[in-house]
Amino acid sequence: MNIIEIENLSHRFGDGTLGLDGIDLDIRQGSFVVIAGPNGSGKTTLLRHFNALLLPTAGCIRLAGVSTVQAPVRARRLVGMVFQDADSQIVGETVYEDVAFGPRNLRLGSGEIERQVAAALETVGLAQIGEKRPHLLSGGEKRRLAIAGVLAMQPRVIVFDEPFSSLDYPGIRQVLKQILALHRSGHTIVVTTHDLEKIIAHADRLILMQRGRVVRDGRPAKVMMEVEKFGVRQPCAVRLGQEVTPWLS
Amino acid sequence: MAELTPFGFVAGDSLLHRLDARFKILFLIGLSLTSVRVHFGGLAVLTLALAGVIFYCRLQLKSAYRELRYFLILLTLVFVARVLSTGGAAAISLGAMTVCVSGVTAATLVCWRLAFIVLVGLCFVATTRPVQIKAAIQWLLKPVPLVPEKKVAAMLGLIMRFIPVILNQARQTAEAQKARGIENRKNPVYRLTRLGFPILRRSFECADNLAVAMEARCFNANRTDPELSARRRDWIAAGALACLCVALLIN
Ligand SMILES: Nc1ncnc2c1ncn2[C@@H]1O[C@H](COP(=O)(O)OP(=O)(O)OP(=O)(O)O)[C@@H](O)[C@H]1O
Ligand SMILES: [Mg+2]
Repeated sequence: MNIIEIENLSHRFGDGTLGLDGIDLDIRQGSFVVIAGPNGSGKTTLLRHFNALLLPTAGCIRLAGVSTVQAPVRARRLVGMVFQDADSQIVGETVYEDVAFGPRNLRLGSGEIERQVAAALETVGLAQIGEKRPHLLSGGEKRRLAIAGVLAMQPRVIVFDEPFSSLDYPGIRQVLKQILALHRSGHTIVVTTHDLEKIIAHADRLILMQRGRVVRDGRPAKVMMEVEKFGVRQPCAVRLGQEVTPWLS
Repeated sequence: MAELTPFGFVAGDSLLHRLDARFKILFLIGLSLTSVRVHFGGLAVLTLALAGVIFYCRLQLKSAYRELRYFLILLTLVFVARVLSTGGAAAISLGAMTVCVSGVTAATLVCWRLAFIVLVGLCFVATTRPVQIKAAIQWLLKPVPLVPEKKVAAMLGLIMRFIPVILNQARQTAEAQKARGIENRKNPVYRLTRLGFPILRRSFECADNLAVAMEARCFNANRTDPELSARRRDWIAAGALACLCVALLIN
């Protein structure tokens, strides 16, 4: 089943920039998709259409059969989004409050909110520091907090916009481990990046974007041969004619 | 970003933390009103009582010290102004300025009251979660006609959220400009405009990002608020405080 269906999607910004240009894409439930492309290729713009933060200026995007234009709030429940900049995603005074922000907006009951928040914090391994101030967390912990905030709303798709930017090695490992665990538990995962090395071994599909269009789409091993033509760095192993080894082994 | 809001909530499990936020707001108002009515004797009793509560609850107010430094400077200025502006029999005179006993007494009283009220406010903020303050204000505004309490409370919540963002922008921009030698410029107007515009622009950008993040998580004014429940301890605390205030006011 396709959880996301995109038909001829275009988006023109207020100032006339064409951010997306005729995108056709279906994403299967439970798949692990990586979207790669150089700066300004439209990755973030595309992701923001998934949860109706941006609406198409032409074409349409359907989530489990329903257009995001018709049901933006449903789209935000269905698709959780972890932003490029973890700091700007923090809205609560404490770790707990931050995670509770989404469920409160959904008008869940108090008991239900408590259960969801506890479960989400447990999943990302932050249950011990629920009372800490979010701004004091490390980069990796902030990213995991953002994931918990999204999980507490029980989405079926989770999109990550550059999840590894400005993280150190342990931070990357923590976040990667989290992403893989979420995929195993049945979530559909979409990750954007311009650095394939860390994540591509785990993906089952690689999409290349350039100037607002999808230029390549297919199995990672195949698409990877051509990435350098489109301004994305090829992982070292591929250049040497080997397979990319997973970061977490 | 770390030491941004020393004036904020400090997690804990003391009696003050567990009291109902609505009661705490009423206590805050009651104590402030009482403190401006009473004189030295009454203030001493109130201050001792407050100190007792702070000690009993083991509140950690150390983190507020940095902010309070500026308040102490302000307090000193108020004190000096008050002393110099009160007339009476001169005790000491320095040239044109005279300092009299009644001036010193009046100034001490004013500063003591101010300090007391700020300390009470600090205890309130340090022991009450922002969501609870918001819910309590919403509850207290409900009976007021023509006030859309949910909107007002949501607005207050947003302001509380955005103040640290703006302060942070201001600090970062000021540091970046210092690093590029803005201090060599003596013209304050030039420095202010050079500092002001980037701060405004960046604050708007930041606020924009935050607004998108909140929208992504379905933010609206109509949300589940934490449940406020008045327990026996709230009524006991209210009774005790009311007795204390009335006794002080009658005296
Ligand atoms: N609000 C906006 N108004 C006008 N143009 C915009 C706006 N947001 C993005 N763009 C433009 O749309 C294009 C795609 O931007 P987008 O942020 O989606 O790229 P990206 O692939 O996410 O890049 P990066 O790797 O830097 O995150 C860029 O050319 C950008 O300048
Ligand atoms: Mg981007």
